[in-house]
Amino acid sequence: MRIQPFIYLEPKTLKEALIMLDENKEKLRIISGGTETVPLMKLRLIKPQYVMSLKRLSNLKGIREQNGKVIMGAATTLTEIIESPLMNSSFKGIVEAASSVAAPQIQNIATVAGNILQGTRCLFYNQSEVVRGGLEPCFKLKGHLCRAVQGAKRCFSVYQGDLAPILIAYKAKAKLERKGGGRTVAISELFSGNGKQPINIEGEEILTRIILPLPKNKKSGSSYQKLRMRGSIDYPLASAASVVYSDEKGSIMDVCVVIGAVGSSPKIVPITSLTKGEELSIEYIDNVAQAAYKVAETVNNQALPGLYRRKVIKVLTKRALNNCLRDIHGGR
Amino acid sequence: MEKTTKRIVKLTVNKEIHEVAINVNRTLLEVLREELALTGAKESCGQGVCGSCTVLLDGLPVRSCLLLAVEAEGRHITTIEGLSCGEKLHPLQDAFVEHHAIQCGFCSPGMILTASAFLEKNPSPTEDEIRRALSGNICRCTGYAKIIGAVKALVDSGR
Repeated sequence: MRIQPFIYLEPKTLKEALIMLDENKEKLRIISGGTETVPLMKLRLIKPQYVMSLKRLSNLKGIREQNGKVIMGAATTLTEIIESPLMNSSFKGIVEAASSVAAPQIQNIATVAGNILQGTRCLFYNQSEVVRGGLEPCFKLKGHLCRAVQGAKRCFSVYQGDLAPILIAYKAKAKLERKGGGRTVAISELFSGNGKQPINIEGEEILTRIILPLPKNKKSGSSYQKLRMRGSIDYPLASAASVVYSDEKGSIMDVCVVIGAVGSSPKIVPITSLTKGEELSIEYIDNVAQAAYKVAETVNNQALPGLYRRKVIKVLTKRALNNCLRDIHGGR
Repeated sequence: MEKTTKRIVKLTVNKEIHEVAINVNRTLLEVLREELALTGAKESCGQGVCGSCTVLLDGLPVRSCLLLAVEAEGRHITTIEGLSCGEKLHPLQDAFVEHHAIQCGFCSPGMILTASAFLEKNPSPTEDEIRRALSGNICRCTGYAKIIGAVKALVDSGR
């Protein structure tokens, strides 16, 4: 499959990149690792007039600690995360999630921002132009029907990024910059929940870094659990990310569970807050798993049936929380 | 501000510098095979799933079907053709031959390049580590046991 022609832009500074983005907005697609963009261009699912490379912007790469926070450049590769001593010591769940993305060859080049800002996917949408050409266009192709759910009034495509759920669980933030300004938002705010337009950032904005608060005076446990067809390559069909904080003595202070690949955006599971000194009992974990099941929204638009994926969310949530407890209490 | 659809790209492949005039929409795999006649890297899925197009970019295995050739400018690219020393095979290639780790051979360039980059980083891996390192390369003859065996034998022999 050949990629259709485009104009290649190669800014040397972020300022130059922001000007190019401001001039071309939706006509332009940013390429960093390219592992998400190139397949979309090959399938003609996106047809950008301009492709802007970030390869010369070296200040968008790397992980560093600064004022009690960890700053991750948007063009940091997943392998850099997996091999970072800082990430391994403080954000184990993010390392687990990055290690579970596709295969090592893709991790070597895929970037944090590319993984977070990937679009939603659907068995009926992510097909070649030939297959799509024979069908009436669905909502995601600017049509008026959904191929997965007959009579549906909206798009049910699935957000299948691995990093966003765990980053949300860690309460990470994203720095977005545009010509003449910028803003910092929670990672969860990057998603609209609308399958047609899943990413909630403006055409002239560029994600430049991820900011992670370093936990102070507390222990943490984290885990990322993922269901996929082949352990060596595929996108998640359901995933659960959890982060649990405790004080130095091991009393649980805070729990956050975020589920992925069961809707058009990652979903924060509504959890009843713990009373002081309360343990994460089997009953409590069961209740969280049930809450995750309730917010999961799955239809038959992936390689496994929606009902099955929704049931698995309960299992993944329990596994993730039990792993967090093991981190905190040490092998219990 | 540079705006181009076609340009001259300087690619360093197997320690040789090649200047090729290409359209910017071409992948590294297309340029290697069609412009430089380096047909060791194979196109199979074209979607980054199978690993048969694996090449090394600055020593790290990547999918050349997902990489625009222009993005590889200024980096060191190694293809399977650059692994052997003329007629003398790389020890990994010898190990693959000795242990019958090649059936149809389509996945072999990707498997061998991925394994060579991995052994550079981790010269004495466990079998599990070898399996994880090669997990991104699919063999449709399903000769995985012999491939893992060949890499393991090479590690055990200490060559």
